[in-house]
Amino acid sequence: MSSFTLSVNGSARTVDVAPDTPLLWVLRDTLNMRGTKFGCGRGFCGACTVHLDGVATRSCLTPIASAAGRAVTTIEGLGTSTLHPLQQAWIDEDVPQCGYCQAGQLMTAAALLAKTPHPSDGEIVAAMSGNLCRCATYVRIRRAVRRASQAVAG
Amino acid sequence: MNRRQFFAVSGSAAGGLIVAWSLPGCASTATRRSFKPNGFVQIDPDGQVTITAKNPDMGQGVKTSLPMYVAEELDADWANVRVVQADLNRDLYGGQGSGGSDNTPSEWQRLHEAGAIARALLVTAAAQRWGVAAAECETEPGFVTHRASGKRADYGSLAADAARLPVPKTPPPLKDPAQYRLIGTKVGGVDVPAIVRGTPLYGIDVRVPGMLHAAVERCPVHGGQPGRVDAARALAVPGVKQVVTLTGLENPTHLRPGVAVVADSSWAAEQGRKALSITWDEGAGAGESSARLLQQFRELEATGNLKTIRTAGDVDRAWRATTTRVDLTFEQPLLAHATLEPQNCTAHVHDGRCEIWGPLQMPTSGSTVIAAAVGLPVEAVTIHITRLGGGFGRRLLSDYAAEAAVVSKLVGAPVQVLWSREDDMHHDYYRPAGFHHVRAGLDSHGRLSVWHHRLITLSRNRYRKATNGPEMTEIYGLLVPQSTDPKDTYDPDLVPTRIPNCRLDYGDFATTVPTGAWRAPAHNFNAFVIESVLDELARRGRIDPVALRADYLGDRAVIPVTMDTPVPYDPRREQDVLRLALDQAEWQRPLPPHWGRGWAAHYTFGSYAAIVAEVSVEGNRLAVERLVAALDVGLPVNPLTLEAQTQGGALDGLSAALFGEITIDQGRTVQSSFDGYRLLRNAEAPDVEVHITPSREKPMGYGEIALPPVAPAVANAIFQATGRRITRLP
Repeated sequence: MSSFTLSVNGSARTVDVAPDTPLLWVLRDTLNMRGTKFGCGRGFCGACTVHLDGVATRSCLTPIASAAGRAVTTIEGLGTSTLHPLQQAWIDEDVPQCGYCQAGQLMTAAALLAKTPHPSDGEIVAAMSGNLCRCATYVRIRRAVRRASQAVAG
Repeated sequence: MNRRQFFAVSGSAAGGLIVAWSLPGCASTATRRSFKPNGFVQIDPDGQVTITAKNPDMGQGVKTSLPMYVAEELDADWANVRVVQADLNRDLYGGQGSGGSDNTPSEWQRLHEAGAIARALLVTAAAQRWGVAAAECETEPGFVTHRASGKRADYGSLAADAARLPVPKTPPPLKDPAQYRLIGTKVGGVDVPAIVRGTPLYGIDVRVPGMLHAAVERCPVHGGQPGRVDAARALAVPGVKQVVTLTGLENPTHLRPGVAVVADSSWAAEQGRKALSITWDEGAGAGESSARLLQQFRELEATGNLKTIRTAGDVDRAWRATTTRVDLTFEQPLLAHATLEPQNCTAHVHDGRCEIWGPLQMPTSGSTVIAAAVGLPVEAVTIHITRLGGGFGRRLLSDYAAEAAVVSKLVGAPVQVLWSREDDMHHDYYRPAGFHHVRAGLDSHGRLSVWHHRLITLSRNRYRKATNGPEMTEIYGLLVPQSTDPKDTYDPDLVPTRIPNCRLDYGDFATTVPTGAWRAPAHNFNAFVIESVLDELARRGRIDPVALRADYLGDRAVIPVTMDTPVPYDPRREQDVLRLALDQAEWQRPLPPHWGRGWAAHYTFGSYAAIVAEVSVEGNRLAVERLVAALDVGLPVNPLTLEAQTQGGALDGLSAALFGEITIDQGRTVQSSFDGYRLLRNAEAPDVEVHITPSREKPMGYGEIALPPVAPAVANAIFQATGRRITRLP
């Protein structure tokens, strides 16, 4: 066991876990932040996507040792006092079916819009194709990302 | 429990709402002055309306759409309605579960009645308060009104008075659908705001004080069990507490054997599991393989000895007389469910009771399995139903809940069992594999004169050691003729209705490969076979596809209900959805070079769906460019979930058609995760245009309806583009 300090949604958190423990399990089990989901543990599905220093990252493949000292944003920290435009768009388009993948979808979409506020349809599809949705809500995911990007335009 | 019994137990709802675990939004707000006329409605004096969702939501949207029926008759203001998930409650609800697209047809009537009774009592309370006749009072969302006097009272202010009134045993008349305010409007999912915030909702999110985590290692060979277990290295992993052995139950869909590593975190349990050293007793299944299964299918088909399920006329003589013939064989692969939330469940067995928190599709039947696994009476099992991160039929079985219960019993603490993705892929209960041989033909008048379908599959019934016929899980619909007149028989899954010479033969054999229900069970491949053959006949015979259908299905209003069809089948409704899809797709509009257009229709669990697909094929590159869906589900309750289920169901069908295949080698499942078992990704998902037949017919389910016609529509489009007939999926 070792001690690691990282910033989670703007707050400094210190955890005492084995260095190879994935960030996913530190979030879910140690910090009790259960919005980030376990889907495959191998980076294929994207359900565990968080931002690490602003970059969309698979938390299931990120040992806590490599997240130490860095800034992690999770679905719980995506909105502030108000919802992120993507969260609002997800509600407006009624995107989720089972909903299990949607935290990862939202974090991937948020990383896209942070870098490319007004993506083309092709950029949306390319960015979102790393995240599996077993319910296949893909059509509404595309609509919601477009809607949010237009909301950002104001 | 029948409806009368259900209404007789009114007034005891609050007990079902009180739960003491750490997912939000479930706590009861009932006060002594709350109005709770039945298990679905609670109105508090402050005006809060709570509607209870009795059955599990796995993404099909029933937690939203079913409470809409209650709210409609109650005339509740939806913006002021809170929906809570019921626990398992045998007395209050009878059976609880979600499967077979059955929630809507089974529940809508009593949900209407539950709302109507509550509304009638509120009206009576207001009428008594005002000294007017109840018949003079009306309601508008959230209020009782009296037009003559201009009086108006909100439901909350009437709750205490309404709670003192006797609950009628028979419901008042229901609304005329023309008066609906809520049904038929687009209502967003009640859990969506929580989902987008990452609020804990799912089985995997359950936390119980003192809870331990378990990972279970199962024999890699299907049907095997642990022999010698050396747990020393596992127990040395930091955080690991105990290693216990699970004995399976007689029915392998109830519980399979394994070795559980119990630890203080899921990561530690997983590390401990990897450190186990187990010698397996692989059993008879070690030689099983996909190649061997296919060989057995072919041999059984070739050597005969199939069971004739139904027969009319003389298929062999008619076959010789056909002028247009199709003779095709089809290979049906195993499919995995791959719910994105891996199987998991939390259990606490203590003091002669078993408390369960988990993502169960079938809490009622699951409680029986769980009780048997831990040796308790079923009444000792309590189930708190969480949201399900996908179902697709996998969670009709409750084996993972039985595992959690047994591990909890063995270690004497609350335990959450969590499967890895590899566990899920290796130890799923797969969609049965199979082999089909169809001979069908048109006579010299261009009429469908012969249909001979020989079907050999693995059987879910045989795997679960059911005593009824192995074919009954693999051919839904009419299994014996309903009438001696062949014109009166219809088989929703295998279509020889008015075909004068038709025969359906079935065969199966035992295997260790686990099988279970997969979204639109049986329909999901049988429709592919039927619609591929029909398409080939129509194209070769140059017959209008709708006319062909009209000819063999007939145009009578109904063909009798069978055990699997809750409403009479109306062949005209199937023809209408196909016509609607074709028209919306502008099916006669020319396509670019290398494109093809195909279509298919199917009747699943009381609803009708048709799909038109457009594909482009250049070299070996196939792209599905467009999907147009048309559905008739009776009176649609929530167009938003209907559209979602149609898009999702169609793309699920496309994913299975393009990529879905589990293979077996040396008794083991080859695929481990989403690298080997591909699912459709966003870039591969075409837009799905959804068209709904306006209908006042009885409402039917729509979670599985759009899926069966997709694979044949795509295959038929490929045939048009290339002349190649696809007979093997993926």
